[in-house]
Amino acid sequence: MNLCRKPNLAHFAITIIGKDRTGIVADTSEVLYKLGCNVEDSSCTMLGGEFAMILIVAHEKPFSKKKLEEEFALKTAGTGLSAFVRALKDDEVCYQGPEGELCLISVYGSDKTGIVYRVTRELADRGVSITDLNTKLIGKPTDPVYVLVLEAALPQGLTVEDASALLEKLKKELSVEISVRLITPVSL
Amino acid sequence: MAVKEIVTYPDPILKQVCAPVQAIDDEVKKLIEDLVDTMHAGPGSVGVAAPQIGVSMRVCVIDVSKNRHGKENNHGLLLMINPEIVSKSGAAVMREGCMSVPDYTGDVERATELTLRFTEPDGNVREFDASGFEAVAIQHEMDHLDGFLFLDRIASLKTGLFRRKNYK
Repeated sequence: MNLCRKPNLAHFAITIIGKDRTGIVADTSEVLYKLGCNVEDSSCTMLGGEFAMILIVAHEKPFSKKKLEEEFALKTAGTGLSAFVRALKDDEVCYQGPEGELCLISVYGSDKTGIVYRVTRELADRGVSITDLNTKLIGKPTDPVYVLVLEAALPQGLTVEDASALLEKLKKELSVEISVRLITPVSL
Repeated sequence: MAVKEIVTYPDPILKQVCAPVQAIDDEVKKLIEDLVDTMHAGPGSVGVAAPQIGVSMRVCVIDVSKNRHGKENNHGLLLMINPEIVSKSGAAVMREGCMSVPDYTGDVERATELTLRFTEPDGNVREFDASGFEAVAIQHEMDHLDGFLFLDRIASLKTGLFRRKNYK
């Protein structure tokens, strides 16, 4: 992605979260539009009853984090919505993770503490970089099931089979199902 | 030998319905050569459609035989003039990227089996069944002939950046 290297732009990470209602995205993007910010990258989703937004925005320099915070403070006052702004350094703007295979890992089983921790620690210790992750608690209240799905970039030299073998021992230990499959994009 | 530059969106040619080939003349033969040269020049490329090199004609070339997904199941180099999908069945999702939409990928659902009919450069009409990755590549390239990009067919919100390494 070469768009991210523009020395004339100031970049900010913004997170917005609050009880879900219609108009959160419209309200947020209205603030950004009126300030002349460009939403370069974003991911927004429902988490429980909350709506959460994570955005990377850019504005021509000079532009301050304070200006963004002030405008969001005005817009979110009394709405229950919280906004957080962080200025990004140049080297934070572009993706710089491993460039090996991309895989999708599903983990599911009866709910217990430590599923996310144990799986992600195992991956982190082998240099596997998580690029996307979501979890859900499903099933009956008397028999809750935990589902963790993540996408990860493997370091050079680590195959999907290696990643699968790496997680094999956790299957027994945590009594969960784990499957790993290759989803590296195809170039057409 | 002419490796052409790949046209990228928002060039309007990529959103046009291409014209059928009326006669296989020298111009069409030259176009096919250019498509093959361009495909071989793109690292890891398995197909190129005419509009991707700036020509709005119903011609595309495909070769998945060197790709890890296609090497076990393919028909080699396909030079396709006026291709048509006669029938298709099955469905599978694959994360696709496209040289005309750099840096982006998305999950696209495609038929897993299809019957294809097209005219070869020598004028013979060929018909055969394709499946697996070759079928995906055929549908992707043929979409270009109708002005469709994979962006028009994204099946899930999960999209990503195409890291250049993956082309190799």
